[in-house]
Amino acid sequence: MANNWAPKTKVDWFLTVLRVLALGVVTVGLLAFIAQQISVDNPFARLINPDATGLTVAQFRGLVISGLSQGAMYGLIALGYSMVYGVLGFINFAHGEVFMVGAMTGMITSNKLDDAGLWESNFIGSLLFIVVVSMLVCTLTAVIMERVAYRPLRKAPRLIPLITSIGISFFIQNTSVVLLGPTSKAYPDMPDWLTAKRTFLEIEGTKILVICVAALAMLGLWLLVERTKTGKAMRAVAEDQEIAGLMGVNVNRTIVKVFAVGGAMAGVAGILWGVLFRSVIHYTGFLPGIKAFSSAVVGGIGNLGGSMAGGLFIGLAESTGPLLILEPLGVSGVSQLRDAVAFAMLIGVLLLKPSGLFGERLSAEDRA
Amino acid sequence: MNESHPLLEMRSVNAHYGAVHALKDVDLAIYPGELVCLLGGNASGKSTTLKTLLGMLIPTSGEVLLDGEVVTERPISYRVKKGVTMVPENRRLFKRLSVKDNLELGAYLRKDTDHINADMERVFELFPRVKERLSQKAGTLSGGEQQMVAIGRALMAGPRVLLMDEPSMGLAPALVQQNFELIQQIHEAGMTVFMVEQNANMALSIADRGWVLQTGRVVLDDTAEKLLAHPDLRTSYLGGKES
Amino acid sequence: MFGTRKTSRFRIAFKTAVVLACLALVLSACGDDEDSAAPEAGTETTAPATTVAPEEMGEEVLVMEHLGDGSLGTVEVEPGEAVQIRSLNAITGDVAFFGLPIERSVVLAIADYGQVHGFDVDMGTGLDDLCSNDGGQAAAQIIVADEDVVGVIGTSCSGAATAAAPLITDAGMVLISGGNTSPALTSDLAGTPGPNYSYGYYRTAHNDLFQGRVMAEFVFNELGITTAAAIHDGDPYTQGLAKAFTDAFAALGGDVTGFSAVNKEDTDMVPVLTEIAAGSPGALFFPIFQPAGDFIAEQAPGVSGLEGTVLLAADGLLNTSYLALSQTEGMYFSGPDTRFGQNVNASTGKSAQDFLAAYESEYGEGPAAPFWAHGYDATTMLLDAITAASYVSEDGSLMVDRQGVRQYLDNVRNYQGLIGVIGCDDFGDCGSGKITVVHHASSDDPEASMGNVVYSGGGN
Repeated sequence: MANNWAPKTKVDWFLTVLRVLALGVVTVGLLAFIAQQISVDNPFARLINPDATGLTVAQFRGLVISGLSQGAMYGLIALGYSMVYGVLGFINFAHGEVFMVGAMTGMITSNKLDDAGLWESNFIGSLLFIVVVSMLVCTLTAVIMERVAYRPLRKAPRLIPLITSIGISFFIQNTSVVLLGPTSKAYPDMPDWLTAKRTFLEIEGTKILVICVAALAMLGLWLLVERTKTGKAMRAVAEDQEIAGLMGVNVNRTIVKVFAVGGAMAGVAGILWGVLFRSVIHYTGFLPGIKAFSSAVVGGIGNLGGSMAGGLFIGLAESTGPLLILEPLGVSGVSQLRDAVAFAMLIGVLLLKPSGLFGERLSAEDRA
Repeated sequence: MNESHPLLEMRSVNAHYGAVHALKDVDLAIYPGELVCLLGGNASGKSTTLKTLLGMLIPTSGEVLLDGEVVTERPISYRVKKGVTMVPENRRLFKRLSVKDNLELGAYLRKDTDHINADMERVFELFPRVKERLSQKAGTLSGGEQQMVAIGRALMAGPRVLLMDEPSMGLAPALVQQNFELIQQIHEAGMTVFMVEQNANMALSIADRGWVLQTGRVVLDDTAEKLLAHPDLRTSYLGGKES
Repeated sequence: MFGTRKTSRFRIAFKTAVVLACLALVLSACGDDEDSAAPEAGTETTAPATTVAPEEMGEEVLVMEHLGDGSLGTVEVEPGEAVQIRSLNAITGDVAFFGLPIERSVVLAIADYGQVHGFDVDMGTGLDDLCSNDGGQAAAQIIVADEDVVGVIGTSCSGAATAAAPLITDAGMVLISGGNTSPALTSDLAGTPGPNYSYGYYRTAHNDLFQGRVMAEFVFNELGITTAAAIHDGDPYTQGLAKAFTDAFAALGGDVTGFSAVNKEDTDMVPVLTEIAAGSPGALFFPIFQPAGDFIAEQAPGVSGLEGTVLLAADGLLNTSYLALSQTEGMYFSGPDTRFGQNVNASTGKSAQDFLAAYESEYGEGPAAPFWAHGYDATTMLLDAITAASYVSEDGSLMVDRQGVRQYLDNVRNYQGLIGVIGCDDFGDCGSGKITVVHHASSDDPEASMGNVVYSGGGN
């Protein structure tokens, strides 16, 4: 690995220059930010950006919490991408739409509960209920998707199910338009005690809730994968389907379970989206889906802990990156560049560590 | 020995891959407690025979019997439950999983916790080094240790007959030697072993009986000593390679 | 009001199809001059300037005096034919709520107006500007292919007008919009034409500079707030209006602490709000649309440094669904003065009330956006201009002088319309420019807040 860093060909030189540039921009931006935080009249800060204002601690904390809460959501979605990739070796691009289905299910269910007056009188119960319903619907969606679209393609080259997944993505989006219309739909109001800032660090209750629920879901998944027989079968199938089959593992059923678990996680994430933004539209799944996929890649695709870490990384990067790196450099309208920052981070990580932050380098033997 | 009925048997089995006639009227019988081997060169039908025995391939005609029961069209999981287990070529461990996980996966279909634990202890007795490596990832083990885990994993299924696919394939000579010692060891512990090999010398040195397969047909069927003594064994039947 | 939308491949394909269809129509029209007005170049140039018709024509409808010097050609409408005008508005998609009432106001205005010198007026089929540059261009090409068309009421969206106005005005026709507000289409109100201005373009909708200025005056003078920031969504309309506000605010002596942008699809507004909060503005103006506007209002209270900041938006968010959000309570909204009250259109004698009653009975619902009044006045102005610039010739045809139509519109002053007093400046801004600021008092009663005017200003 070490000798890979010594440039040998023109491409190596080019990559090295890119690495240095990427690190350079991030470093200078961060230094400028630090300089501006020390004092906006700091000559170094003035030199780079004369209009710098700096951020207060509370503002900075707000950015971080916002990034973490969204990152946790990305991480949950990323698990589905990562697990399916781990087992079948292709990217299921329709997974973002499963997340959208979850957010839509939550919207419909929560509004029904609101009509019945339960949303306000028993919020925690209602939230649990919509999480369960959303998980069920998403699980079903993912399982049907696997059965109808992917299983017949199990033996086809990996490009075929990938393209199929893009088709399914459009199918689900358009189905949503036909069933629910093309306009955005709202969740009912969250209770005041939840949206109010907690005294603890002045964080809004919704964000604490989102982070906690995501952590719980993640813990549940980890226990399932690492501590149960089903999880063991999943890991075995991910590594060697044929041999897992020889051990008596029902490979088809295990693959269905992988889709089901990924769908359930997307269902939880869909509700978290609803709690955070309270609004859902048929293309809601697209951007978070792409970012979750990026998270899975950043964390090292196929690695579950890596997916979660990748999600937090992407969420934090897009939330704090524009103001931490670009704004101190004097770039204007930085908030429009949040998506660009998120994807630049993906490219940056891949430049420095092509297998992702926690990815294992595949040896030649593994690849064969 | 031949008084009892065979544990695993193939009766005039024909198998096809599309238009290719891979097995032609193959008859095999493996009796309890035997260590037998199937020899053959490349594309002789060795792998097809294994696949048919395991249920990964359904023959076009003929029957596969397990302890007298016709299992020709039964799935792998059924045969595994009934006691047929394979140690695959190149070991094929789950390298990213721990040694313990690998062993437990071997017992995937079993529910009798007490017996599983007893079998685990038996594996540790056979291979004490496996116990030391229990929580390590299988991929980090040495080649010899991996071979032990591979056999241990197969034993965890509680098999009545162990199928071994090319145990010498892709291994350094020292490891090959060690490997065959392991096979002999478990055979001596009472296990019925059916081994598919290209390395005739090595296989016949520990086997009781053997068959030679050529282009899908059994051409020789004899005891190990006689096969070893057969003048044309390697030149005529095993692809002409001197080993 | 609305600006350019992103181009889609579908639209490019659609445009191509439309152009091909146009070509086919033009070609078929060439081979069939019997029932068309045959507007050949020769016919058009025969019309003399300020003609006196031959005296033996004794018909009472005969009008000989008319405006125009014939320099842009003449449209001849044969007896039994109708004067052709067109409607070009956003009538499909998620902006239909805004363009459809304008198209319908054209239909109703034509009906109220009656005949022009004994000739019927025909709007044809309502055309769609798709609220985009491409849509405006495609529809304009269909319009100019028909040389009988005198004038067009449209577009709804500024982005569509940018493409449509040059094509339509080059063909000698006039384009009068009831919905465009971008300063680029007319002028900066200080004598400099906007980059997209073309002669022959007029509008009854206000110039956004009025709106930005009135909002700035309200914030600085009435609320006494001296620091402000603005957020737009990258669309030329929202960007122009946000800029108009911050420019006017700075001109009044206020301090602009931030000017930033979001993407229309963004949901997490914490970063942009934090960026704005770093400057601690007293007021934040975001003249954008839903759903981005929802997220800003909902997330602003949670961002440290914006707790006391007054939130301001424009008419794009002034609707009952937005006002129903509890976090929008206390916000101020600028928009065109829609208190039409008992205003009467001088040309038809109809009041705003009459119009709404007719609209309701015709379409079974009320108009969803207020620019119907602007569309109505634009139509009656156009018909007045055609009346003034035409005469009936010896053979009974109506001769419309294209240059005369513009001459009439250029000189409109103190014309009484539904929207109030209308007068056109040198660059086609005819709207009253009256802007009101509405205060949203309670999210429990959004309807009441819609009309809760706390400030008004602007106007010529």
